[in-house]
Amino acid sequence: MSNPKNHAGVSRRTILKTAGAAGAAFAATGLSTPAVFGQSRKQIRFLNAETSMDSIRALKVAAAEYERQTGVEVVIDSVPLGDVFTKVTTSLRSGSPYDIATVAFVGHVLLLANEGHLVDMTPLTSKHEWGKNILFPMDGKTYWYPYDYNLAWIYYRKDLYEQNGLEVPKDQATFLANAQALTKDNMSGSIFPIASNGATNWLSPGFLWAEGVEVFDDQWNIIIDSAENAPKTKAYLDFFGDLYKTMPSGTSQASYNEMLTGFTSGSVAHSAYAGRLVETIERNSPDLADKFGIFPYMDSAGSGKAVNHGYDGWVVLNTDAAEESMKFMEWFTENQLINFLHTAPLHFQPARLDIYEDQRWKAHPLIEKHAGLIDSMKGFLTDPDMTITAIDTQGPAPDLRPGKVFESFALSEMLQQKCLLGTSSDAALEIGAQKMRDAIA
Amino acid sequence: MSSKATFTLFLIIGLLVTLALIAAPVVYAISLSFYTMDSFVADPEWIGLANYARILSTGAFWNALGNGLVYSISTIVLQVVLGIGMALVLNQAFPGRNLVRGLSILPYLLPTVVIVLTFKWMVDGSIGILTKAIAALGLPPIHWFESPQAAMASSVMVSVWLWTPFVTTAFLAGLQTVPTSLYEAAKVDGTNAIQRFYHITLPMLKPVLTVVVLLRAVWTFNKFDVIWLLTGGGPVGSTEHLAILSYTTAFTKFDIGGGATIATLSFLFLAISVFIYFRIFPLDEEES
Repeated sequence: MSNPKNHAGVSRRTILKTAGAAGAAFAATGLSTPAVFGQSRKQIRFLNAETSMDSIRALKVAAAEYERQTGVEVVIDSVPLGDVFTKVTTSLRSGSPYDIATVAFVGHVLLLANEGHLVDMTPLTSKHEWGKNILFPMDGKTYWYPYDYNLAWIYYRKDLYEQNGLEVPKDQATFLANAQALTKDNMSGSIFPIASNGATNWLSPGFLWAEGVEVFDDQWNIIIDSAENAPKTKAYLDFFGDLYKTMPSGTSQASYNEMLTGFTSGSVAHSAYAGRLVETIERNSPDLADKFGIFPYMDSAGSGKAVNHGYDGWVVLNTDAAEESMKFMEWFTENQLINFLHTAPLHFQPARLDIYEDQRWKAHPLIEKHAGLIDSMKGFLTDPDMTITAIDTQGPAPDLRPGKVFESFALSEMLQQKCLLGTSSDAALEIGAQKMRDAIA
Repeated sequence: MSSKATFTLFLIIGLLVTLALIAAPVVYAISLSFYTMDSFVADPEWIGLANYARILSTGAFWNALGNGLVYSISTIVLQVVLGIGMALVLNQAFPGRNLVRGLSILPYLLPTVVIVLTFKWMVDGSIGILTKAIAALGLPPIHWFESPQAAMASSVMVSVWLWTPFVTTAFLAGLQTVPTSLYEAAKVDGTNAIQRFYHITLPMLKPVLTVVVLLRAVWTFNKFDVIWLLTGGGPVGSTEHLAILSYTTAFTKFDIGGGATIATLSFLFLAISVFIYFRIFPLDEEES
């Protein structure tokens, strides 16, 4: 056995001394740091989910300007939208929550508010007039600041309609016939996603809403297969099964990107999206910029019409910096919101109605160029016959249950059963409705 | 420091790292399976084994377990067959052998996302090179992801493409330890190539085969990225295995307890399988 005293090296006493000194130094540093920072600077942590370079830049410019004016540092972290809620919740759990965060589900707003993590933003939202079905108040209070609608509607190729003598459809049969008529060798008649993803939940149920189908009753029972709704839902599935035959190969996996590229590459005659598609056309396929038109989702009778929600907004979390965060949000929404909206001028469809009349917002070249499109977009908000809803905003009040149905991808399952496996509409509806019930059980 | 002190120091460091990065998260994940949590925000509520009863009674769990077995077994069988075949070829002397050996491992060196996206572009319905080639041959188009069987076959194919080089390399290393005198003696005895393969090569490769199958089984059963990137578990859940089900349950539906339960059951299933595997194929030859 070796004697530790007899060889050169580090003794146990030395290790203990070194560790002790290091620990003392670490503790001293750790203890002194908050006081130094607390005296010298204030900081707000902002979790952004709009990850385009322009949007991030706009937020960072705003943050720098705010720091210049007030001395308060605003740190912008950006993550993809799909990861934002996990990031918010894990930061809460870790004890270092963000002060402001982007959210895209009213269910998430409700969840955070119910746990006391959100600040009432009514003092900010009450200053303006808003479009319909966007504030989602809870007990009379608004816990988020929505900045866009992201309504989903249908795009069509106006030039192909003229060449083929087609009419803008008012009912689903006409729409299907148009899609079939435009399905040719190098052209697919339409594309609507059916994969188990958010794109399907956003871009494919519009026909259901136009038909007047509801997922929940006032008691939060699933009623998509009720005596009133079942025939409409089955008709929707039959219609979609036929429409799927006009879609390109690979549609079973299509997501947001395929919806954009299919239309902008000129290989699909109908697609669904919000304003991002026009921005993509302007950037990648300017020759198509005057060859497209839009219309809302339609029902089978030609009387119902709908667009699908895809809203986004900000919440202020109940942190030590909550008061400072509210001051920042007040400054930001009054002074920088339009700059931010201009980073996706047609996609970020304003939720605040006053912005549509704001000359600063209207001065953007793309908004000026597509004034007709803007009129249609605003018309969707003001048309009393237009249904604006989504899976996650179904039901009598803001609630977690529609969010759970959304995340169960039950609608995707119904569409896949119908389009990929050839399941009857009866059976597909039964499977989907059961999946919805399981999700909220 | 003495060698014993050095040994103890490194052992303690190793144990601490294992404890902090492996044992603690595993214990925490297992403990979550006994709670109900709607998200990471809400306070957890103890419910005992209720999550296990709920998860085991769902069709989705058994479907995912079945998918995982189909995916793992198909992938391993194909990888082993192709890996041994390729190793036998690469073990022969031919001009440019080292270059071919280097190239053969290339897919293993590429990130999974590159392999998956390359495959998706190759089979793209409009511009895919395979799609065009199939059309040029006058064959009907293949819908790679549109039916459950095709989606599973595509997932297996990509996994085989990605991991066969690893298996090949392992077998190649094993082949180089087989004494050539055994083959020479067998040739003198009048055996043909197939007989030499079954009576010399395979038995000599058994230790490598045992380890490779075990490692590939564990990795494949838990493999998340290939299927997630390729099919997302679809269509209609046909490629959803336990790793994906656990993830979507915990992070999409925010059923944290449910997701942890699925992960724990998957862990238990693998642990029992590995135990049985070692009983059947012990690594220590003296025990067999």
